[in-house]
Amino acid sequence: MSEFKSVKASHGGNGWGGPLIITPTAEKPYVLSVTLGGISPVALRIAELTGAEAHDQFKDPIETDQACAVVIDCAGVARCGTYPKMGLKTLNIKPGSPSGPLAQFITEDLFASDVNPDCIVLADAADVPAEPVKAEKAHEETTKENVHAKIAEGRAELASKESNGFMDVVSKIGTGVGRVISIIYQAARDTVNDVIRNIIPFMAFVSVLIGIINYTGFANVLAGVLTPLAGSLPGMLAIGMFCSIPFLSPLICPGAIIASVLSVLVGNQIANGTIPANFALPGFFAVNCQVGSDFAPVGMTLMEAKPETIEIGYPAFLFGKLITTPIQIVLAYVLSFGL
Amino acid sequence: MGAVNDFLIFLAEGFTGLFNAAGDQFASFITGMIPMLICLILTIKAVIQLIGEERVYGFMKKCTKYAVLRYTLIPFLCTFFLCNPMAYTFGVFVEEDYKPAFYDAVVSMMHPIVGLFPHANSSELFVWLGISAGYEALGKNSSELAIRFLIVGLIVCLIKGIVTEKLYLIMKKRNEAKLAA
Repeated sequence: MSEFKSVKASHGGNGWGGPLIITPTAEKPYVLSVTLGGISPVALRIAELTGAEAHDQFKDPIETDQACAVVIDCAGVARCGTYPKMGLKTLNIKPGSPSGPLAQFITEDLFASDVNPDCIVLADAADVPAEPVKAEKAHEETTKENVHAKIAEGRAELASKESNGFMDVVSKIGTGVGRVISIIYQAARDTVNDVIRNIIPFMAFVSVLIGIINYTGFANVLAGVLTPLAGSLPGMLAIGMFCSIPFLSPLICPGAIIASVLSVLVGNQIANGTIPANFALPGFFAVNCQVGSDFAPVGMTLMEAKPETIEIGYPAFLFGKLITTPIQIVLAYVLSFGL
Repeated sequence: MGAVNDFLIFLAEGFTGLFNAAGDQFASFITGMIPMLICLILTIKAVIQLIGEERVYGFMKKCTKYAVLRYTLIPFLCTFFLCNPMAYTFGVFVEEDYKPAFYDAVVSMMHPIVGLFPHANSSELFVWLGISAGYEALGKNSSELAIRFLIVGLIVCLIKGIVTEKLYLIMKKRNEAKLAA
């Protein structure tokens, strides 16, 4: 099966990461397209050059271990980290540098963003890494292990030297406290990273949005539109049902951006007093009925669901929303009294 | 000439005024929310590390047998301990036929949980923050809102889990009948 060729995929103008060398093999003959609206042209381009097969992972999910690369259109939360975490080469057709909760797995050798079909070229012989790379890595790992082993030995020696009762207790307490402190410190580092990467950028975005809305007088226009919709039960049901339409919901879902913006707008009107305060509770559900529509096939892949399960489960999930959306909004409305 | 000049000044003032308003909003987010968020998320992350998620796994696996727990307590624990998107990986321990419904329940827990535990889905915090900030602006305390959001969320997860489970089983049967025909 040597008819497969290798391609080199670089990031686009606003992209990050790469270049990646993609080589399909007999075991991994597919380029998965986890993109909305059919197979991405990027996946088709790779398929055309390499001889691999482009595959629509949304329509007809297959096991990801048959894939040599994945093409995604992730706005920067979940999908873009999921596949690199699985060790799959991932091409994002949207721009963006590593972000989201799995950002640490998004590395230059597994991920490239803002990729368009022109970024894909046949690889030169010089670009294709031969097997030695793997060997090198293995070597590195063994040396690391050696180092660890040596450290462990050293510790064991130390311990055996000082194995009288009192010192034992002291050293145990010491290690325990050290462990707790290092865990808390690591948690602090993770948290600050998380806030800088994921929360503050969104706050900046929302601030500009609120600035424009309040300063330009657009708030009054919005109040006119939103009050009848988000300020009454039938209006909320209308928003919810609209966001639950099975063909529409995956399109408005990515990154929860639309839900967040709607939430900010409704919150703004609640602050102004045009929407009653108790509508806050049903509001959460009305603006977010589409939740998870885009991520379902990937989420079920993380559950190691069989492709057949995903194939039937995805539409079942989407159509289920049509039944559960009105129920959740009415339920939240009923439980909102007294707020 | 004077009129043009006045107009230009008016434009420039509007322009900087808009971004001053946006900047004030940003400053209030940073000073009003970030310090509390950082301390809260830090503490929960450290507690999760100290407990170790493996320790709750055994208990959680046993619970997946019961529909009521499978679509309420388990999605909550998954999102709390594993966060978005790793929470879904716990679905490996759920029976194949329940996986789509379990996905529905977990994804529907992703936002109701953040009112009290923002660490679980910090990238999508504004679904909660947008409305709750407006609610707080009225001088009300948003803790009660957060608790009710979580309670309604748990009930909704249960309903969604059951509905999607039934729908999936019906569609699967129909599909099998079609394949057999």
